[in-house]
Amino acid sequence: MEDVFTPLDCLLPSGKQKICLLILNQPLDEDLFYVLWRKAAIRACADGGANRLYQLTAGNQESFVPDYISGDFDSIKPEVKAFYEEKKCRIIQTADQDLTDFTKCLAILLEEIKRYHLQVDTVVTLGGLAGRLDQTMASVETLFHAQKMTELPVLILQGSSLACLLKGGVWHQLRVDTGLEGEWCSLIPIGGPCLTVTTGLKWNLDHQVLQFGKLVSTSNTYEPHGADEGKKLVTVKSDQPLLLINKYKLELHGAFNTCA
Amino acid sequence: MEDVFTPLDCLLPSGKQKICLLILNQPLDEDLFYVLWRKAAIRACADGGANRLYQLTAGNQESFVPDYISGDFDSIKPEVKAFYEEKKCRIIQTADQDLTDFTKCLAILLEEIKRYHLQVDTVVTLGGLAGRLDQTMASVETLFHAQKMTELPVLILQGSSLACLLKGGVWHQLRVDTGLEGEWCSLIPIGGPCLTVTTGLKWNLGT
Repeated sequence: MEDVFTPLDCLLPSGKQKICLLILNQPLDEDLFYVLWRKAAIRACADGGANRLYQLTAGNQESFVPDYISGDFDSIKPEVKAFYEEKKCRIIQTADQDLTDFTKCLAILLEEIKRYHLQVDTVVTLGGLAGRLDQTMASVETLFHAQKMTELPVLILQGSSLACLLKGGVWHQLRVDTGLEGEWCSLIPIGGPCLTVTTGLKWNLDHQVLQFGKLVSTSNTYEPHGADEGKKLVTVKSDQPLLLINKYKLELHGAFNTCA
Repeated sequence: MEDVFTPLDCLLPSGKQKICLLILNQPLDEDLFYVLWRKAAIRACADGGANRLYQLTAGNQESFVPDYISGDFDSIKPEVKAFYEEKKCRIIQTADQDLTDFTKCLAILLEEIKRYHLQVDTVVTLGGLAGRLDQTMASVETLFHAQKMTELPVLILQGSSLACLLKGGVWHQLRVDTGLEGEWCSLIPIGGPCLTVTTGLKWNLGT
């Protein structure tokens, strides 16, 4: 089964994907935020993500009220919680300590999508790739859980990096011609060995095993192409889930810095 | 076979471990730097790590000259390279694109330790856990390679985190009583599934 996907479509104002937006407790990329917020059918914060939202939208917070904020609330500031609660944002406490705030926030999102029969193509998450390394690993763990929870792609964007866990056993056809792709991309066998085939990369894998200690494809890039032809499709197939991380460059400055 | 190790001993001025120091191309934690530099038998920079060193020691760079700087030199600034070269720091170009600057820098360090018969207990690396996630993953990959290159523990420290790849098949006894340990610790099965037993943690595994 083939799966055609444009990871950075979500950052194109003219992009076709219908998205939902989750905001985690990390510094918010302002440019990304405004593009994604405007396009999102549902917007939610995981715990301290609400602090980040509140801070970024200072002076205009009432125009950027999420649909819900969930978490164990050990990070959200009381005044932030009170503000959004007063603006009718749903505050959903999720006490389960075996799952992270991110995973629980995603679970609620999927219930909402189902309950309201929403047409959604992609879940986009802001934050989760920087800060404490073990918390980044916890974000990756959420991507693994997500594959059991939904068929929807779940992306994480932060600091010019996009992370996406590619399902195993499926040919992924990745369009990389939005113009927002940066020069590097990496395939990380983070869960264990991945027997991998790719096309469209500068250093393709030809039924090789990606595995820590043997071969990890970091700082790869796209196949060279002529000036008048776009980047080719990148195709990837692995027998196990494989973490794709690639660079994006967002060159929209302030164009969408307006009310939602 | 048991393996008793105190990961944060390297940060104790009175610590017993003899260390070597590698500096990668990431913002340098100033406090860590001075403690580690002073204790290290060998000090080296991987490529742009030299920029970081140069910047941190501004006004006093000649007192902090590494033993060598290695890498493919796509990051080191020309003036930084020239400065250290003039101070007799060895500049070692390592062009192999299949291995990262970190891995190659470590390889050279191990040769030096062997050549000079140095007594070393731990290799400490500054930087490598923050910045681009894929580059952090490349640092972790170096830790895997390191296990095939040496018996020495190789640590990476940055931003209040210490990372260490625990060898499989061995009981690790980790002393966590230096007083420098923070409140959290994590075990990440980053290469694949790990059948694990622990004691001493709040949530132990396999018991």
